[in-house]
Amino acid sequence: MIGMMAIIRYSTKKILFSRKAVVSVLIAIFIAAVMGYAATQDLERLPAGADFMDALILFFFMPIIAMIYGASIIRDEIEDKSITQILTSPLDRTFAYLGYYISLVISLSIVMVLIVTVGFLSFFGQTGIDSDALGIYFSVCILSIIGSMVYSSLFLLISLPFKRPLYLGLFYAFIWEGFIGSLGGRIQEVAIKHYIRSIGSDWISHGSISGYNASGIGYSSSVLVGITIFFLAIGILYFRVKEFP
Amino acid sequence: MKAPIISAKNLSKWYGQVIGLNNFNLDIMPGITGIVGPNGAGKTTFFKLITGMIKANVGELQVLDQKPWMNTAIHAKFGLCPDYDNLSDDMTGREFLKLSGGLHAMSGAGLDKRISEVSEIVGMTDAIGRKIGGYSKGMRQRIKIAVTILHDPSLLLLDEPLAGTDPLARKEIIDLIFSLHREHGHDIIVSSHVLFEVERMTKNVALVYKGRAVASGHISEIRGLIDKHPHNIVIEGEGLLELAKRFLDMDYIVSVGFSQDKSSIHVQVLKPDSFFNDLPQIVADMDCDITRLHSLDDNLEAVFRYLVGW
Repeated sequence: MIGMMAIIRYSTKKILFSRKAVVSVLIAIFIAAVMGYAATQDLERLPAGADFMDALILFFFMPIIAMIYGASIIRDEIEDKSITQILTSPLDRTFAYLGYYISLVISLSIVMVLIVTVGFLSFFGQTGIDSDALGIYFSVCILSIIGSMVYSSLFLLISLPFKRPLYLGLFYAFIWEGFIGSLGGRIQEVAIKHYIRSIGSDWISHGSISGYNASGIGYSSSVLVGITIFFLAIGILYFRVKEFP
Repeated sequence: MKAPIISAKNLSKWYGQVIGLNNFNLDIMPGITGIVGPNGAGKTTFFKLITGMIKANVGELQVLDQKPWMNTAIHAKFGLCPDYDNLSDDMTGREFLKLSGGLHAMSGAGLDKRISEVSEIVGMTDAIGRKIGGYSKGMRQRIKIAVTILHDPSLLLLDEPLAGTDPLARKEIIDLIFSLHREHGHDIIVSSHVLFEVERMTKNVALVYKGRAVASGHISEIRGLIDKHPHNIVIEGEGLLELAKRFLDMDYIVSVGFSQDKSSIHVQVLKPDSFFNDLPQIVADMDCDITRLHSLDDNLEAVFRYLVGW
């Protein structure tokens, strides 16, 4: 447990203060600008705010940010060979992998909650913060934490076998989640965000997400937990037998 | 007789079309052992097999009586100082050691005390609180060695610990390696591509070439093997014809040949030490003017060519 904690402390700090943090800052500025501008327009306050936070943050940027951090956390250490220290320690590789996963979830959750907060303040700070607005805010925060847990398991797995995991990550984030996840009918059920939005539709009663063709909160939660465990298990199995020449 | 700390039998490792080790056989006994070979010979592959970072395709490897692949428990018994820089520049030496200690399940006051001890052993007490980014190459090597010994393993694996260091740092690191063995009781395996550097650290060496252990044992035995083969020496200057005639009368000189422009001679010598001892007197007697003398066999590659008959 001490060894896993050491990885969590080290990797979380490394992710949050890496150069990739600049991307998060730029995204936050972009969201502040878009939602800040939207707040000045003649829009219905609660539905518009919920739609922006759903479409812009949960729907579009969350998979991208998860991919940027998740696809690089282990891969960067393999490339710069700093992973040697972990691989030659007596820490079982299962716990080492879990250490990376937990640090990725923590970092991603912090970044996502900060971005959600920036978006929320930019929009509702101008249009008025009340209990309904706060309800949307807290729901999106929790959804982004759930998304961080699921996407982290996926992108951490992708980063192991591929030397350029960003390409596959980009394909997934834009084509799979962005395109297939937007199609009508049941085909959208193959995208992670369908289940995140399904949970959101139960929690948020404003905007398009409230009327989303959902799969049901219990079923969606089970699917998300299931695929997270599945991706983690595959990642652990692969990491345990992977050679590091 | 003591048991070997590492025993490799018919060990082979290849990466696709590239062979890392090829039917590699070697027993390493306790003490300091030098693994010597040119770059790309297979030294680092051998270290990676020992540390369980890669798996052998064929053969058996025992490290401290255990198999290293997928055996993380054995990692507590050795420390690896890799040949590359795996340090984090934005951390202090102390932070890096704390991270390493944490990975070895060390914590609290015990870890702090041990960090102070190893900092003193490697001579980094004053610099341990500074950012690693500001360390010299020698200091970086020292902090890597500090990480290697932090959990007090019985076996230290030092992969090219002298690479890139200046002469003063080299001497200090060699002294440190001696001290780690004599005063702290660690068995040490140290690799290098420079034979004379290893010779300063230990008399027990294994020569690795093209993925094979071509010779191992006391350095005098290996030198004996090397001395059975003629060494190639080139002499440039004036009055070389008389010199060449004189060489042909000497029993340890195998052959003498002139270059096309007659400005140099190529001499094959069986006993290079005797040759270099006798040469100043011969040159004085012949009244010739030598402008340059160099051995074609100074590099380790040539030594291995002799040993493997390549």
